[in-house]
Amino acid sequence: MGLDRRAFIKFVVGGAAGTLFTPIPWKLADDASIWSQNWSWIPRLKYGALTADATYSKLCPAGCAVKVKKVAGIAYGVEGNSANELSKGGVCPLCATGSQMLRSPSRVAGPMKKDGDKFKPISWDEAEALLADKLKGLKGQDGKVAAISGDLSGTANEVLSGFLAGLGSKSYYYMPTDQTAMAKAWNGVMGGSGQIGYDLEEADLILCIGADIMDAFGPVVRNQKAFAAKRPMEGDKTLTLVYAGPVRNRTAAVADKWVAVRPDGAAAFAMGLVNLLVRSGKSASLGGFSDFADLAAKFGPEAVAKLSGVNPEALKDVAKALLVAKNPVIVVGSESGQGAGVALSAAGVTLNAMLGSLNVLPEFPKAVASAPDRAGLLAKDLVGWLAAVDAGKAPAPEVLFVYEANPAYSLPQAGNMAKTLRKAGMLVSFSTFMDETAAMADLVLPAPHPFERLDDAQSPYGLGKATYALATAVVAPEKDCKGTPDFILGLSGKLGVDLGFGAFEDVLKAKVEAIGADWDALAGGAVHVSDKKGSTQASLDAGAMSKALAGIKGEGLVLIAQAHLNIGTGKLATPPLNLPTIRETELYGKDVFVQMCAATAKSLGLSEGAKVKLAAGGADISARVNLSEGVMPGVVAAPLGLGRTAWDPYTKGKGDNVCKILAVSAEPGTGLSVWAGSAVSVAKM
Amino acid sequence: MEEKKTTKCGGGFLAFVLGFLLSVVAGWVVFPGLLYSELDQPIQFSHKIHTEDQGLTCDSCHFFREDGSYQGMPTNEQCTGCHSDVIGQTPAEAKYVQEYVQKNKEVPWRNYQYQPDNVLFSHKAHEPFECTECHLDVAKADKAPKYYENKLSGYSKQTMKMWQCERCHAENGVSNACHVCHK
Amino acid sequence: MQAKEFKIRWGMVIDVDKCTGCGACMVACQVENNIAPATPEMDAWAGVTHDASNKLRTLTWMLVYEINNKKAFPEYEAAYMPRPCMQCSSPACVPVCPVVATDKNEEGGIVSQVYPRCIGCRYCMAACPYHARYFNWFDPTWPTGMDKGLSPSTSVRPRGVVEKCNFCHTRFQQAKDKARQNGGDPNNLPDGAYVTACAEVCPTGAIVFGDLNNPEHKVHELAHSKHAFRLLEKLGLGPQVYYYSKREWVHRLGDNYLPNEKKA
Repeated sequence: MGLDRRAFIKFVVGGAAGTLFTPIPWKLADDASIWSQNWSWIPRLKYGALTADATYSKLCPAGCAVKVKKVAGIAYGVEGNSANELSKGGVCPLCATGSQMLRSPSRVAGPMKKDGDKFKPISWDEAEALLADKLKGLKGQDGKVAAISGDLSGTANEVLSGFLAGLGSKSYYYMPTDQTAMAKAWNGVMGGSGQIGYDLEEADLILCIGADIMDAFGPVVRNQKAFAAKRPMEGDKTLTLVYAGPVRNRTAAVADKWVAVRPDGAAAFAMGLVNLLVRSGKSASLGGFSDFADLAAKFGPEAVAKLSGVNPEALKDVAKALLVAKNPVIVVGSESGQGAGVALSAAGVTLNAMLGSLNVLPEFPKAVASAPDRAGLLAKDLVGWLAAVDAGKAPAPEVLFVYEANPAYSLPQAGNMAKTLRKAGMLVSFSTFMDETAAMADLVLPAPHPFERLDDAQSPYGLGKATYALATAVVAPEKDCKGTPDFILGLSGKLGVDLGFGAFEDVLKAKVEAIGADWDALAGGAVHVSDKKGSTQASLDAGAMSKALAGIKGEGLVLIAQAHLNIGTGKLATPPLNLPTIRETELYGKDVFVQMCAATAKSLGLSEGAKVKLAAGGADISARVNLSEGVMPGVVAAPLGLGRTAWDPYTKGKGDNVCKILAVSAEPGTGLSVWAGSAVSVAKM
Repeated sequence: MEEKKTTKCGGGFLAFVLGFLLSVVAGWVVFPGLLYSELDQPIQFSHKIHTEDQGLTCDSCHFFREDGSYQGMPTNEQCTGCHSDVIGQTPAEAKYVQEYVQKNKEVPWRNYQYQPDNVLFSHKAHEPFECTECHLDVAKADKAPKYYENKLSGYSKQTMKMWQCERCHAENGVSNACHVCHK
Repeated sequence: MQAKEFKIRWGMVIDVDKCTGCGACMVACQVENNIAPATPEMDAWAGVTHDASNKLRTLTWMLVYEINNKKAFPEYEAAYMPRPCMQCSSPACVPVCPVVATDKNEEGGIVSQVYPRCIGCRYCMAACPYHARYFNWFDPTWPTGMDKGLSPSTSVRPRGVVEKCNFCHTRFQQAKDKARQNGGDPNNLPDGAYVTACAEVCPTGAIVFGDLNNPEHKVHELAHSKHAFRLLEKLGLGPQVYYYSKREWVHRLGDNYLPNEKKA
């Protein structure tokens, strides 16, 4: 029969009914739903052997002992090295995202030369030839070649400073930190040797004057572990922590007591303690101590209250606690880890000496014999030098090397400093990332990411024993970068400067041998700890101290910049995964928030969320007000690490750079540039 | 007139049956061919040569690591133990050495038992079972079997679905909780 | 929902007196679980920013809260509270899921979240009083090249599904495999064989993780301490995350108390 409409329909219906007895509808529905769960733009995971390679991560200032976690040889994460007796497996919030930073969009892809406004890629050979050419004509002239280093613990500095010395230049500077302020005091003014150490592991009372040991001072992970070890949940605490500073910061949050001290009066507070200890019969075997004790007598509790805002009873309580403790340790510094003066540092040393806690770590032997001594370099004043260059009192360098530092962003009065840095004839940055200094440099020669390079750390400041750690390359470089010390060794060869080594690995091998450590053990993640102690011989300069202390006013609105490690450091902008850790009370959208208590806000006519302009040192920043009772009256607290103008879209343009308004002054009596607790004016916008 | 009607009904019923049968055949015979694309492995790997001629055992290449994870498909690290250079006569081996070993590239083997990322499978927990309970028996095969890829979902034809895992778990008294198999 | 009993109960004790609020736990959690960074662009059509300062959009399975005693200077005190998913004994989120994408059925008591089954209705988010659940408003996008190294522990979620802390569940499986490989008992793991990413990385060791039922695990004793408390205890959800503090004001912030009500 022919096919008519009804037959056709029945055919189709039969077909449809038959389909139900086949896999077609069920499989298609199932597969369609699976298709909708596996979009092609969602990344697929890679699988393979899971390994963890030990190294020392120098992404944070002091460094963390880590293991880089890999799957099928690709780095994806970081875990702590639990075998490390100092960090005990803990990791700071920056090193925890170290594997992600290997592929940061702000990484410099290869050596680059500035051509007009843009960067043009060049080869490493071209870069070496360019620099060799430029430096040939400057050999033997001091001040023409200079270098700024932000890595305060690496032996790479010996190569770099030895190279400069070979060119006849003494202009090698470290970025200012609590360590440089202490070096100026201990090694410079007091004539001591070695590095001040803090034996937190044995302490039963830790008094922090300014130093934010849990967030910004020294090896924060080790500080936190040492603290936690003595405050077990399941037992009695064997450590009391007292924080003396203007803000209830993260150290104060876990401390047993917060003593509110104006940041500009911290040295007076310390002298007040010296005075009370002297009155209780304590003394220190430091030269010139009796003159110093006489000076301290001027800092009775009432005088201290005027200069630092500390309640006289609180001062007496702290002194009492110090006298009763068996192993008290006093840690001094600035809340932001920079800008403290000699007065505070020397007073801190004296307090420790009076309580039998003065701890000096000996310097490890040098590997590069022609390199200047580390202590001498640490005591130099970078900010003071740049101010002199700015004022025309010192010549601008023809070539300025910047290693592991971001001075254009993180120096105080950053806007001015950036201009001064730009006065250098040729600015060379070795930064791994496109930071503010690299962005304005003439030549960017990227160093590898800390996981990709050989590096080391000798006694990061804040430890209690001379310690040496080695970092080996556990990841193949993702970009065309070269280890800075290797580049410098190559360059030195071209300029006839003999540093005694051809490659940086040889330098470190010599260093390890000189120290008497085992290279293989260090490369496997072990750390070398020495029980040797340095000499505690030094002498106090009461005259200089008196002048420095006379400069304390103790009144007016002062600014305290807070360094939070999770937000980043000067040389490492907020990693993308750290952005959610920034609170809305610190940053919201493009607005940075400054904190002040209700009393301060009332006196300035401000309310929560008010838009304000903060001005100091010839610059200003815009911010909004966040009311917090954790800031003492007369003080404004502002977070560092924001207001980036380079890097990548994740971090750029958020908030403002508080370093711009850290006003610098010269400490009377010592001449050291200081800015902790600098004055600031706040005006409603 | 009535004859015509009867014939029409008869013709209609036939049409229904014809449609029914045709779609059943299409669904069971034609459809799988359309749904799956037939692919080859990037290298024609012969298990027979390795197990019979060379005397390797299964766990020479497929073994449990120290941490209990399973090395399923070997990587270049295992293969170059012998094949860092051409040691045989087959064109497949030559291709492997040329295009993968010398270029330091891993072979993108197609996984017959492919599971998506949200599935968590532990070989260690299934160690007591015979491999062939779930995997194709290739131990003596001279050629790698064809890989059938589902054009719509992207999975392999042998990809086990959830009900297969659930059934065996239920039969063996093992938990069928979500997190046992998902991540 | 009635509390289910399990032989093993994975839980945490977090020492609020030791947490410095550094945020390393938050970072390690994101690394372990393939959480993409919050991108900077604005969703102009909705006027919504996906920037990380918009806390309604960030995926923070582990989130550190800052709490204070609400007093004026100088009595002001602050503390930090890391908050993962509480893995409640009788969770509020499980009974409300229309597709059973979340359940509390695996030995160990971790509340599971299965992403392919989730339809994104967000009923569970409304139910959770701890705000521990997060919705993927956007497809994850990594900066170019940053998705090269992804953690094999957690699948990558597309937009439209809810996610939450799962106590790094893959590490539990890996610990069991390791135990089987080395002759141990996968159902009786020693203390420390399985630790979450946040507990592992914490610089103060404030986060302690383990089996609350096992007397050989540290958390067992700590959870029974008189200084331990749980958040919103009165809701009766039975969270498996305990907080530890010797400070009364921290305890009082853990739940809703009337001004003169004494804490139980």
